[in-house]
Amino acid sequence: MDENILDIEDLVVHYETEDEVVEAVNNIKLTMKKGEILGLVGETGAGKTTTALAIMGLLPERVGAIKKGKIKFEGENLLEKSKREMRAVRGKKISMIFQDPMTALNPVKTVGDQIAEVILLHDKCSKVEALKRAQDMLALVGIVPERYKDYPHQFSGGMKQRIVIAIALACEPDLLIADEPTTALDVTIQAQILDMMRALQKKNNTSTILITHDLGVVAEMCDHCAVMYAGEIVEYGTLEEIFDNPKHPYTKALYKSIPSLDKDVDRLHVIPGMVCDPSDLPSHCSFYDRCDEKCDACKLHDPLPYEIKDGHVVKCLKYQAREEE
Amino acid sequence: MIKYIIKRILYLIPIMLGVSAIIFILKTFTPGDPARVILGNDATQEQVDAKREELGLNDPVIIQYGNYIKGIVTRGDFGDSYRTGNPVLSEILPRLKTSGLITLGAVAIGAVIGVLLGIISALRKYTWVDSLVLVISMFFQSVPEFVVALVLIFIFAVNYHLLPSSGIETASGYILPMLCIGLSSVASYTRITRSSMLEVLSEDYIRTAKAKGQTDSNITKHHALRNAMIPVAQSIGTNLGNSIGGAMVLETVFGVPGVGKYIVDSITQRNYPSVLGGALIIAMVLTIINLLVDISFILIDPRLKSTIIAGGKKSKKVKETAAKAA
Ligand SMILES: Nc1ncnc2c1ncn2[C@@H]1O[C@H](COP(=O)(O)OP(=O)(O)O)[C@@H](O)[C@H]1O
Ligand SMILES: [Mg+2]
Repeated sequence: MDENILDIEDLVVHYETEDEVVEAVNNIKLTMKKGEILGLVGETGAGKTTTALAIMGLLPERVGAIKKGKIKFEGENLLEKSKREMRAVRGKKISMIFQDPMTALNPVKTVGDQIAEVILLHDKCSKVEALKRAQDMLALVGIVPERYKDYPHQFSGGMKQRIVIAIALACEPDLLIADEPTTALDVTIQAQILDMMRALQKKNNTSTILITHDLGVVAEMCDHCAVMYAGEIVEYGTLEEIFDNPKHPYTKALYKSIPSLDKDVDRLHVIPGMVCDPSDLPSHCSFYDRCDEKCDACKLHDPLPYEIKDGHVVKCLKYQAREEE
Repeated sequence: MIKYIIKRILYLIPIMLGVSAIIFILKTFTPGDPARVILGNDATQEQVDAKREELGLNDPVIIQYGNYIKGIVTRGDFGDSYRTGNPVLSEILPRLKTSGLITLGAVAIGAVIGVLLGIISALRKYTWVDSLVLVISMFFQSVPEFVVALVLIFIFAVNYHLLPSSGIETASGYILPMLCIGLSSVASYTRITRSSMLEVLSEDYIRTAKAKGQTDSNITKHHALRNAMIPVAQSIGTNLGNSIGGAMVLETVFGVPGVGKYIVDSITQRNYPSVLGGALIIAMVLTIINLLVDISFILIDPRLKSTIIAGGKKSKKVKETAAKAA
């Protein structure tokens, strides 16, 4: 028995539209142990949401296609499961919180019904019981349970996100994927929501993938971190390794772009250049154009992920070459 | 909610006053003497003068208008028909029932077929089913109602003698006019339903429902349909008004004794009390329908409860439809 809750092997996801093929996720490998909180960081367009949707089996029909790879959840490959089997996984074993709480709830159903829906789907119980549990969930995320009869438009953005979280946690999933859960919220609300998520995570020890573009959030919440760039995981390791000993030029650049109180900088560091177009990826290292540590060899090779230290993987020619010398 | 309904009913007053004033003004500018119309060409000038006095036609228009309004408010009296001498109201009510039945039947036929086709083509988007539905509904939209009417009469009444070509002596007499008006609105319901369904199906909350593990059919039934029906209900509301207009034209084609035919006949006979009464009652019915439609929106979409009741901006639209029908 392996104790990994999630094992992603060589996952490749493309979006195939009429006029182009977007290579959104390219050969990623990712392992998660039970109870772990993994931060998935990267700029917009890096393929974070695509990875999450692939795990959920919710890639857009016809357009999104998994080209290769395995997604093993608790030892079973999710990609081999039937539609029906996947429905039993979603909401029960794996839950997802989406980025925008303003649109994630059905405007014409009461929030109580929307929480009860997932409970009724997966746990055999009566409607009354489901509603009762829905109210308990509301209380758990800090909303007065009596408000279960209210409609989404009667709640603020932060409250809506609490309700979305209540839906995601209602069936006590083994794996929670939170896709930028606080990006759409005010800064003060962000902190509250993160605090609450951390407390709830501790309570059930739910394995969590926290998707964000904010390294600060990762530092606060996560124990492992994967940095994504152009559909690839360019660096992976424990929180300490990634923060104290970042190796990939992209990770280092991300640090420089964090505003800091103790460092006295006039101007935030902005990573020069543009994210490369995922519908037209280069054959060499995809970070080449923006890298400030590049050498001639970088233009010839696409480096392989290399484990420089126990559990610390970097996908950069510099480190790969150094070890081989 | 009650306050809102009362407020909306009070809006009826200015609408009625406006509609009746317009028709009164038109009446004074139209040549021809109603008294002469009633009595016929054989009557002497004395008889005509006496009749004018009796009908109050010698009073200033404003007094006539005042008396007319007073009659409606105090006695529910819309005057007597010049032609038959019967109270206008008692002549209109049975005809209103006929017209109402045809209109409601037509809207029901159009909405049910249209919404079903719309849902099917949305769920099967970009397949041949979708294209077929599109072609069929475009066909019905581009052919004028009366052409459909004549074709239907030809097929069902003349060729196969299945349904009567005119009149409503039997219940089946209603079917052709209903089909006719109903089919012409199928296309618009199909298009609205399809696009609204597609839009709703791409909403984030549909993805939330999928993430819960919900089945596709339940997602359509419980999450998509009700949201997708909001614009459809809106167009049913507007369509009811249009269908009443359509019914008026088709009543003449099919020889159905409804309010439309009554008003058209009364106009050619210069039978002003009947025209006035017919127009006012239609305007009243339209306003009430609009109110019911608005209330149904509130029931479908909880977000409207706060906005629509506070705003009351609908009255303008109601007035416009009422004036158009008159
Ligand atoms: N439905 C889609 N069709 C085509 N391309 C898409 C679709 N969804 C995402 N993409 C593209 O895939 C890439 C990865 O997107 P995404 O996974 O959403 O990134 P992230 O969540 O990291 O911001 C982007 O270039 C994006 O434009
Ligand atoms: Mg995203």
